[in-house]
Amino acid sequence: MSTPPTPSTPPTPSTPPTPSALPSPVESFTSPHKVDYTFVAGTGRSAFLRGLQERRLLARRCPTCERVYLPAPEFCSRCLAELSEPFELAGTGVVKTFCVVNFPFPGQMIDPPYLVAYIQVDGADTTLMHLVRDVEPADVHIGLRVEPVWCAEEDLDTSMNSIRYYRPVAGGSDA
Amino acid sequence: MRDIAVVAFAQSPGTSADRRDDMAEILLPVMREALGSAGIDRTEVDFWASGSHDFHEGRTFAYIESLDAVGAWPPISESHVEMDAAWAAYEAWSWLQLGEGEIAVVYGVGRGSLATDLDQVTTTQLDPYFLAPLRPHQDALAALQAQALVAAGMLDEKQMAEVVVRARAAGMGEPGAQVSGEVTVDELLAAPYLASPLREHDRGPIGDAAAVLVLAAGDTARRLAGRPAWVRGADHRMDTHYPGTRDLTRVDTVTLAAAKAADQAGFAAREVQIAELHTEYSYQEPLLTNALELSGATVNPGGGPLVARPTTATGLIRIGAAAQHILSGRADRTLAHATSGPALQQNMICLLEGDR
Ligand SMILES: [Zn+2]
Repeated sequence: MSTPPTPSTPPTPSTPPTPSALPSPVESFTSPHKVDYTFVAGTGRSAFLRGLQERRLLARRCPTCERVYLPAPEFCSRCLAELSEPFELAGTGVVKTFCVVNFPFPGQMIDPPYLVAYIQVDGADTTLMHLVRDVEPADVHIGLRVEPVWCAEEDLDTSMNSIRYYRPVAGGSDA
Repeated sequence: MRDIAVVAFAQSPGTSADRRDDMAEILLPVMREALGSAGIDRTEVDFWASGSHDFHEGRTFAYIESLDAVGAWPPISESHVEMDAAWAAYEAWSWLQLGEGEIAVVYGVGRGSLATDLDQVTTTQLDPYFLAPLRPHQDALAALQAQALVAAGMLDEKQMAEVVVRARAAGMGEPGAQVSGEVTVDELLAAPYLASPLREHDRGPIGDAAAVLVLAAGDTARRLAGRPAWVRGADHRMDTHYPGTRDLTRVDTVTLAAAKAADQAGFAAREVQIAELHTEYSYQEPLLTNALELSGATVNPGGGPLVARPTTATGLIRIGAAAQHILSGRADRTLAHATSGPALQQNMICLLEGDR
């Protein structure tokens, strides 16, 4: 907001401004917007989200092209065929690519540095984005085998937060 | 000018809130129906254009999800407008006019129910300095225009109620309608004001729906439809961003767009048999029919937006409905109108014609 004039201060008598003089421009003001939404996940992704509440990673396969989606929409995005019934994957997977976040920003939930990866869960043709922890960033590499660390029973939800993070499989070898 | 026609149209049933389907799920059955009635496979489509609004979904690039219903693999030629899909139809029509291809599919997904209060969203499209900070809701902005018309002696509340009575009766049996039924002018005038002179029934009910239009050029159109709905002329014009600088009793952009469309079409708006008008509020119907000089035409025979307003699909549905009258042989010449922005700020007019 620009500063409003203080009512108690009378206008300062002064020489009238020259005709060309303009008041100093307002450079900024605040106009916050807030919008509340209902999120509709759809029937396909709802199956995946409900699985997370039960510590299960539910995937679906395209009957035409055999692609396995995790999370799965209702239809194959290549064939437009309705995907098969959900089936459970073990949850272990492989780091397909990753980055180390060193940058602080407003609203950040985790102290940098931390590691974000695309994880290809065994049996799926798509990747999930998640944190990789319990390992030094320097020791993470593409091909690292990882497993999910699920949250406590009371915190399970229809949300990706049901998986706290991924960590290297103990004694696991690279894919 | 190339001959371009609507060869198929489909829309989903009107719902006030679809809590089951995501964008792709809401769209895919409609897409299958439209492509099926044109008798084409998606591999035959040269261009895809869609309209929806991220601010209605609450997610960035939300429309990307809808591409799962058209198949983005193998790669397709595709475009999106961040507004009513009527403007996507205009883009696809222009694209075909340029000779870039033979078949274009246009789709609109409207999800007006996802924002808990759509008025929180619509203020973000207003000018950020003088108007948006005041958070005027859509009904207040519309009511300013309605009140200006009443004060000018161009409209009264009874006329507005008569529009609603006819729209609700026309909506009976229409799968796209969210509200319908027999009501009387007296009943309506007894209802409380929402933003005077407007009452709840004076605004179209916001909801969720999808619509798909198939456009084709020349001989391809003749092959795909028994009686193509030729888009003979189309034009859109916009007024200034700040409603306070406008005379709200006039819609010069409608008059101008209609004149430009008539120049292309070779016939004027007043010569059509059916007009599908994007009337989000009842007061807009007499204002638009006067501007278009539609004395002899049937207006919104299915009830129009006053019985269902699936936000960014509403304008496209007007074009689809106007085309459907020709495809089915009910009319030879029709008009479609679409609007966007507060108090009829932006307006598009399409003039359609069937072979006789
Ligand atoms: Zn497939």
